[in-house]
Amino acid sequence: MIRALDIYITSMKNSFAARMAYRADFFFCCIMIFISELLFPLLTMLIYSTGGTFPGWNLAEVMVLQGVFMLSKGAANLLFFGVVYNTLSRVREGTYDLLMIKPVSTLYISVASGFEPDSIGTVLGGLLVIAYSLGKLSQPNAMQWLRFALIFFLSVLVMFAFAVLMAATVFKWVGNSRIYEIFDNITAFGNYPRSIFSKSFQNIISFIIPVGIIAFYPASALLGKDISGILPSICICVIFLLGSLALWKFMLSRYTSAGG
Amino acid sequence: MSIIKAAAGPALKAASIMKAVAFATYKEWAAYRSHAMVSLFVGPVYFLVQIFIWKAVFSSRGSINGLSLDQMINYFGVAVLINYLIMDFADWNLQMLISTGKFLSYMLRPMSHIYFALSQKVGHRVLGFTIEFIPVYLILFFVFGVRIVPARPVFAVISIMLGFIMMFLVDYCVGITAFWLTRTSGVRRMFLLLRDICSGMFLPLTFFPDVLQKILFYLPFQFIAYVPVRVCVGSYELGGISLDIPRIVGIQAVAVLAMSVFTVVFFKLGTKRFTGVGA
Repeated sequence: MIRALDIYITSMKNSFAARMAYRADFFFCCIMIFISELLFPLLTMLIYSTGGTFPGWNLAEVMVLQGVFMLSKGAANLLFFGVVYNTLSRVREGTYDLLMIKPVSTLYISVASGFEPDSIGTVLGGLLVIAYSLGKLSQPNAMQWLRFALIFFLSVLVMFAFAVLMAATVFKWVGNSRIYEIFDNITAFGNYPRSIFSKSFQNIISFIIPVGIIAFYPASALLGKDISGILPSICICVIFLLGSLALWKFMLSRYTSAGG
Repeated sequence: MSIIKAAAGPALKAASIMKAVAFATYKEWAAYRSHAMVSLFVGPVYFLVQIFIWKAVFSSRGSINGLSLDQMINYFGVAVLINYLIMDFADWNLQMLISTGKFLSYMLRPMSHIYFALSQKVGHRVLGFTIEFIPVYLILFFVFGVRIVPARPVFAVISIMLGFIMMFLVDYCVGITAFWLTRTSGVRRMFLLLRDICSGMFLPLTFFPDVLQKILFYLPFQFIAYVPVRVCVGSYELGGISLDIPRIVGIQAVAVLAMSVFTVVFFKLGTKRFTGVGA
């Protein structure tokens, strides 16, 4: 465990050092990511300013939901989403073998070496939006915060499952950087209250592809809203994670080192 | 007659170069057609999200900012389709060439890199037209029942072509900043976000505050997507200014011309800074 942590911290330091070679670009990137992540809340504000609303949710509540989405995405990007680009670029170059010969789990080293410092902007953006929006609502009690923390952990877990799934896919679908677009599109459903979707879609994003757990359930728990259906969703999250890990193992065994 | 021949000579040569570069790019990217076909999933899913959002928003109101639900869905349908015709990554390409020093080889070629990159975009988007635009159009038509037929087809085609060039010029200018900055991921991110917001990709520009709409009217971004979309829809309005279709397309053409001049000047200033570092 300590060794694993040591590897991760070393990789983190290396990522920071690499980014510091172009300091101005790094800080500019962080600021830009921070601003760009405010896009969804900004669009929501524009919609509400023209009189439009999402039924059952006021502006501050929707912004909390979108802030939670940003926070989950930010944490994922910062800590482990680099595994996708790492795998994608190395498989394309045929240099993924270098990770496979290391005396540590290939998935772990892929995750650790993909630390992305730029995503600090997303985390800060998420925290800012949540804090600002909660300031306009009645404050959550300790139980709501606890529920939020537990469900948010699952949210990050789902993000990890998505990252592993995407990374596993690029072993076969060599060099396809558009895989991020597929992810962004699927998870876009998680940026809005579940109630705006049709019943069948609500079931899909809760019980087939657990997108609802990314932001809807954690935000609902924090806001004291109804979170019925969370238990089956938790089971789906675990299955989703195990499925992604199984796929990773299967795809890794089919890696041919041929490049693309 | 000889004057016409003299003028036609360079034009024919330029057309022949564009055809050759576009064809080579088409062939190159056709090898990755499965990547482009991701659009068959991404476009309709994005559109589906928009349908859910706007149906929910319109559930309590008949119209917002003078737009009905059908008009709003039509707006996003046209925006999704037009994006396949105009998208490019000239900014990424140029900054990569500069930061790696590979741009050096383009400085030695007997043609401007701007024209070369534009020709590449033509080839890339011709491929996009066949494997992205047409299939997604059919999906929107048959699956979502969105009937997208431009109100003034000729002006719509001209406007989309001008939007195609404007998108290229804006992106190319972003790429040119690499002559000064070398690494431009931050600048690129900022400009591309600004471009997408201010061009009406995410939301019709009439949703923005009045003051902002008036400012946007004088910026190049609206000519990338907002104007072509509104021309296809058949009416144009921004910042309280309503214009008929021929007039806004005329203004778009002038804006593209002005942006072209700016790009050439900016490019020349940039190339003076190029040191070939990384080569």
